[in-house]
Amino acid sequence: MRGANHLPLILLFLPFALLPSLPLGGWGAFLLDVGFFVLLFTALALSWDLVARTGQLSLAHGAFFGLGAYGAGLLAPQVGTLPALLLGAAVAGAGALILGSVTLRLHGLYFAIASLAFSEVLRTLALKLPFTGGPIGLPVPPPFGGTWPLAAYYLSFSVLLLATALSLWAEKSPFRLAQAATRQSEAVARVLGVRVIRVKLWSLLLGSWVAGLAGGVYGMKTLFLSPYDAFSLGRAVEALVIPIFGGLYTTLGPLVGGVVLVSLEQALRLWIKEGYLVVYGAILILVILFLPRGLVGILGRRRG
Amino acid sequence: MGRVLEVVGASKRFLGLQALKEVHLHLEEGEILAVIGPNGAGKSTLLNLLSGLLRPDSGRILFLGQEITHLPPEARTHLGLGRAFQIVQPLPELTVRENLMVGALFGKPRVRRKEAEAWVEEVLRLTGLEGRAEALAGDLTLLEDKRLELARALATRPKVLLLDEVMAGLRPKEAEEAVALVRRIRNAGVTILFIEHLMPVVRALADRVVVLDYGEVIAEGTYSEVAGNPRVREAYLGRQT
Repeated sequence: MRGANHLPLILLFLPFALLPSLPLGGWGAFLLDVGFFVLLFTALALSWDLVARTGQLSLAHGAFFGLGAYGAGLLAPQVGTLPALLLGAAVAGAGALILGSVTLRLHGLYFAIASLAFSEVLRTLALKLPFTGGPIGLPVPPPFGGTWPLAAYYLSFSVLLLATALSLWAEKSPFRLAQAATRQSEAVARVLGVRVIRVKLWSLLLGSWVAGLAGGVYGMKTLFLSPYDAFSLGRAVEALVIPIFGGLYTTLGPLVGGVVLVSLEQALRLWIKEGYLVVYGAILILVILFLPRGLVGILGRRRG
Repeated sequence: MGRVLEVVGASKRFLGLQALKEVHLHLEEGEILAVIGPNGAGKSTLLNLLSGLLRPDSGRILFLGQEITHLPPEARTHLGLGRAFQIVQPLPELTVRENLMVGALFGKPRVRRKEAEAWVEEVLRLTGLEGRAEALAGDLTLLEDKRLELARALATRPKVLLLDEVMAGLRPKEAEEAVALVRRIRNAGVTILFIEHLMPVVRALADRVVVLDYGEVIAEGTYSEVAGNPRVREAYLGRQT
């Protein structure tokens, strides 16, 4: 993909950049809400893909999201919005280092199981620790004292831009080959001199930072966190379904997948209301059956 | 000339099986050493100890005078100890050129991209893979796979190269080409230790041969010396009654 053109990315981002200034009348607020979640969950999906490129299939992204959400939510009243978001991401990163250092030798499904256990432990902690609000939940202040209604939308956009920049960097630099070699065979990668442990830990750390930021922004939008919502396994699953749907191990795949899938989910919810998940699930299955390399697979072999 | 690689009394046991027992072995700079032996003699275990995929239960491994017994594989590669696998393990979703780039970029610490790219071109030429550089490694023929395996190890700029039955499965004509390639690699200044089942290949390539049986070194010398050794004949053919 060296020297690839960025036109698809620009076309993808442009509507979201313009959305707040479009004259949408009564639909404006609703569409901005949908846009917020599309941007945020796409960022989460991209952060999942960034980790998956090393063969670590994470089910812990719901937990990184939750760590970031609770970290930022608890700290925002004291330190302000942006520092709280960064500290939330740091908390998620600390979680990633703990998970990563006990799963160094695990790959693929085995890593997935370990990361699932990790997220169960964290949800339990969020329920039981004295300062999290437990099952009652945690109120979170809106960003920047609520003075600017579009703040959450732009924060969400920024997280996605950051995730995209990280992913593009990882794709264009030698890091891509280190990640790909690690995913395809750790033994071969090591014998070729790749510092596999370092590659896996860095990938997990970068992914957890983005997921943590996304979680922090999420709390500032919903203004309320509960352990079941913030640490939801459903979100971890969505984070991996989007890249599979859009096209794994690429930047464009999770981006296209996220925009299409999250929009679709919101639209179906609006049109069909109850039972919309049946249609959503059917579409997912069809795409995975007939487009094994995801939506961007239609564009042909991505090799350059 | 000097000893570039030395194994001092290495033993390895898997549960009940003594795979290697007090193995002593050395490799002289510039030579091609063959390690042969019947199935299960411990050849692949030896190679895994040398490349760091396994650790010995006892004994030491020295590389260029430095003890590497407990170094991980990537650190050994950085020092200049390269390895090609027996069962060809391409990184199937990468092209041939990208496979080589992995070795060229990470085989030594802090290699610049331009440098790595130039070196990969040279390795592609040396191994006759120029025409297939853009093919996905998963789409190669067996012969091309074997070449890629060699080329990728070479891309890490090894001083010593460990080859694990890289001729297995090749037709005689193809094996001949591969023998010529290994010679070219040696002539480029790389010391080689290889494991091989095909005796014609051993005879054609090896300056010196070490024979393993049940995890022990039972003979050492030139091809004709070990071929005439009664213990070696017994190991291969069974005791004549």
